[in-house]
Amino acid sequence: MTRRLIVLASLVALLLAAAIAELALGAVKVPPGEVLDILFGSGKTGPNHQIVESLRLPRTVEALVVGAALGVAGAILQGALANPLASPDVIGVTGGAGFGAILIIVLFPEKIALLPIGALVFGLLAAALVFVFAWTGRNRGSIAKVVLAGIAMLSLFTAGTTGLLAAFPEKAPSAIFFLAGGLTSSGWESLDTTWPYFLAGAVLVVFLIRPLDRLALGDDVAASLGSRPQLIRFGAAVAAALLAAASAAIAGLLAFLGLVVPHVVRMAGRTSSQTFVVPASALGGAALLAGGDTLARTVRAPIELPVGPFMVILGVPVFLWLLRRAL
Amino acid sequence: MPKARKSRLAVALPLLAAALCLWVASAAGAATPKRIVALTPFAANTLVKLGAPPVAIGQTVGGNERFAPQLKGVTVLPLAHPNGPNLEQLVSLRPDLVLSTKTWAKGNQAMQNLGIRVVTREPVRVNGVISKTLAIGRLVGKLPEAKQLVAKMKEGLGKARQGITKRPSVMVILGVGHSPFTFLPNSWGGDLVRKAGAEVLAGGLNSGSGFQRISDEVVIAEDPEILIVVPHGEPEDVPAITRYFENDPAWGATKAAKEGHIYISTNNSLLQAGTDVGKTIEEVRKKYLHNWPG
Repeated sequence: MTRRLIVLASLVALLLAAAIAELALGAVKVPPGEVLDILFGSGKTGPNHQIVESLRLPRTVEALVVGAALGVAGAILQGALANPLASPDVIGVTGGAGFGAILIIVLFPEKIALLPIGALVFGLLAAALVFVFAWTGRNRGSIAKVVLAGIAMLSLFTAGTTGLLAAFPEKAPSAIFFLAGGLTSSGWESLDTTWPYFLAGAVLVVFLIRPLDRLALGDDVAASLGSRPQLIRFGAAVAAALLAAASAAIAGLLAFLGLVVPHVVRMAGRTSSQTFVVPASALGGAALLAGGDTLARTVRAPIELPVGPFMVILGVPVFLWLLRRAL
Repeated sequence: MPKARKSRLAVALPLLAAALCLWVASAAGAATPKRIVALTPFAANTLVKLGAPPVAIGQTVGGNERFAPQLKGVTVLPLAHPNGPNLEQLVSLRPDLVLSTKTWAKGNQAMQNLGIRVVTREPVRVNGVISKTLAIGRLVGKLPEAKQLVAKMKEGLGKARQGITKRPSVMVILGVGHSPFTFLPNSWGGDLVRKAGAEVLAGGLNSGSGFQRISDEVVIAEDPEILIVVPHGEPEDVPAITRYFENDPAWGATKAAKEGHIYISTNNSLLQAGTDVGKTIEEVRKKYLHNWPG
């Protein structure tokens, strides 16, 4: 118990540090005191005020929300599918979102504001198709069927994305940022569109935590305890699809986060209990994405780089260190 | 009309007229942007020629934009996907107008969300230079200067297009790495070469973007008399791209290769809209098409 509390406390500290760095650092130097004044409503109006209030603050909130959502989506999928390789990729969301975004970039470049909607719609569509194939016919809802349907859908949409980029290579530079995963300073607009999906996913997750712990004992034991394994699995997939599609709409494809963060917190906390793994993954995911985004914005400032590679740089050493100790 | 009323009117009317003039002048003054950011060389150079230089200019990463010498020392905003300029850097400049391009559609939206006025006035064809110059002049309160500039441009264009002695078939190729893209007639470079008197070949391809990936087989089938290659990439990669296309064995069978008419254009004049359009057409005719009299 003490270990879990220490891990949670460390994650909270990391999250705060990452959020402060995200707010304080950027292409334009704003003194930390002024950042605080602006955040607490006493700063002078002017460019710095606009930079902190309209650019950095929404971006920090986006990083925290998306990081937490992807961490949680990975945690519940790995729990529901009893598969350590499960992530939002496995239910087709990432592939669908990528295809939807590239479709907008290629076919409707003048309507670029629709990109998050395209990613969201196709991410959810891909997940819905996985659900249709995985939860109908023989052995419906079985782990193997969900995973295989997900991989098939991921392949299908990834092929569509690659095909579009091959047919319209001149659009590739605009697409790379989305495919590599990156936050943009678009104010509150993206969150305005996606918050209902984050909320619905989060509420579902809250109700799934205990059933997922029972499911970890095996389908038969869970059923004997009154749980319905297929329904739990379906609920977890729907929640993960909502969280991951909304995340992709804001930050592009960041599959790594959903895959690795739950493993890191499990190894650090030495438990697979979802009552610990889900909130810890939310904190870890949020900290990792906010930290990675700070690096992506500042390493080559004023050029902003995609955050995906930075999260890998930050996350993999920790992951490998824990892996070495755990196995 | 009684005399007293007449005299009151005589005083009031000029006062009203003067007040109206002052109001119009102050409204016009308020609307005239002073701190302009130009994200394209065309907009930046046009502003210089109109006497309203920008406070900052955009420069693509690794780009080779053709800026007027007067812009030396002006703040440079590096441009990169997806937004174009760094929005923090842009906000710190307190611009009251950004002249942008559709390439940065996502960034334009974000700038507008920040309350910045963003306008796209980038010509995609040669004739567009005239209307866009006038539009920029109107935007920055320099319409008379824009009209003068346009008159000069028209004169230059007229001279540059006189006495075309032949109309060779030409393919204009954008070399991205080792991949050839063809300039279509609806691209800036394609239209400019056509205006210089060439028959622009594009293998029947079309695209709203003005460019299409093209197979070497199409280049051979079209068999152009002249191939103009525009290498595109980081400045340090351009020499290697140039060497590759100059010696591309796949093009060996074309008339252009056999007669030594493969030319390389590295100054971006075919890639980016410019204000010196007459001069560019003259250059294309003299250097590549050889259809300039004498």
